[in-house]
Amino acid sequence: MDKDAKIKKLTSENERLIKLCSVKSDMVSISAHQIRTALSALKWIIKMFLDGDLGKLNAEQENLMKKAYEGNDRAIGIVSELLLANKTENVTEKKYNFGEVDLIELIDNTVFDFSGEASAKGIEVIFLKPEKKLLSIQADKEKMRVVLQNLLENAIKYSNSHDKVFVTLRENDGLVEISIKDTGVGISEEGKKKIFEKFYRDPEAQKKEPVGSGIGLFTTKKIIEDHGGKIWFESSESKGTTFLFTIPIHRKQ
Amino acid sequence: MAKTILIVEDDTFLQGLEATKLKKEGYDIQVASDSKEAFKIIDSKTKIDMILLDLLLPDVDGFMILEKIRQEKALLTIPVIVFSNLSEEKDIKRATKLGISEFLVKSNFTLDELAKKVKDLIGA
Repeated sequence: MDKDAKIKKLTSENERLIKLCSVKSDMVSISAHQIRTALSALKWIIKMFLDGDLGKLNAEQENLMKKAYEGNDRAIGIVSELLLANKTENVTEKKYNFGEVDLIELIDNTVFDFSGEASAKGIEVIFLKPEKKLLSIQADKEKMRVVLQNLLENAIKYSNSHDKVFVTLRENDGLVEISIKDTGVGISEEGKKKIFEKFYRDPEAQKKEPVGSGIGLFTTKKIIEDHGGKIWFESSESKGTTFLFTIPIHRKQ
Repeated sequence: MAKTILIVEDDTFLQGLEATKLKKEGYDIQVASDSKEAFKIIDSKTKIDMILLDLLLPDVDGFMILEKIRQEKALLTIPVIVFSNLSEEKDIKRATKLGISEFLVKSNFTLDELAKKVKDLIGA
């Protein structure tokens, strides 16, 4: 087979795989929504039992219903993770759409989006803004939002009640550096070597939060590196973790 | 006089649970399982104070219902709570753009929490 024929064959195979992937992704999405609907009904019914709407429960019945409610909520969490993993997988496959991004505004909005979740856990998220206004960076705004969402979500998820999460932003030598610091469970020694691997979940994280896809940090790293940046962390078990990343202000063509 | 809520929900089991809960809270309830039924009720000039709208329906999607509602002068300001299991940012943005009061993901809310949101929005 000559070179052109090989390229043609590979291109056609690639197109077939993209279509297949899209069908798979749609199937995951539709199934997950159907499962969610069934779990919603279960959630409401169990809650009606627990609230005594259907008659008073004895102590044993109430205890079992509470367990059923918690189990059902875990299942809802798994479905949400599945949807997120499905979406994130798509995110890494899509092309980038670079433009001017005001990072202060983007961080402000993302912190605001998580304010409900954080306050429900009694956690305060504090964004320490730089004293002088930064230049806009050249980046894909929606991908940068995914990065910030993943890191903030983790910081809140693995913090303890009444902890604080700090976000900082500074400019240095043509780069912006962002840090997200929590005082949560920290990363284990094993995790420090594998934390950015696809589907890896740290044992400490699993103890704190059994539900998780292990895809968030993998995606985060990929997006940052695709922007020409770097990501790293500093962490001590039981003391917390700081994730730091840099993005060049001007994109190299 | 009790306020009237139109529930647009194709899953009759969920529809029944939502209706029972909101009736118990003192609201009058109208139910529709698809867009045809929903517009039959809307066109009948029944006084509707709020719409609880699912997005995945058998005939057209909830967004189209929302679009049509917002084109009708009389319904332009009617409060709509989207109550769906869709939760992607694009769905939330699209619904918000069309004018909704809340976007609630069914599996994240109990019926008590839903009733509270309704009460906050239109009163008891």
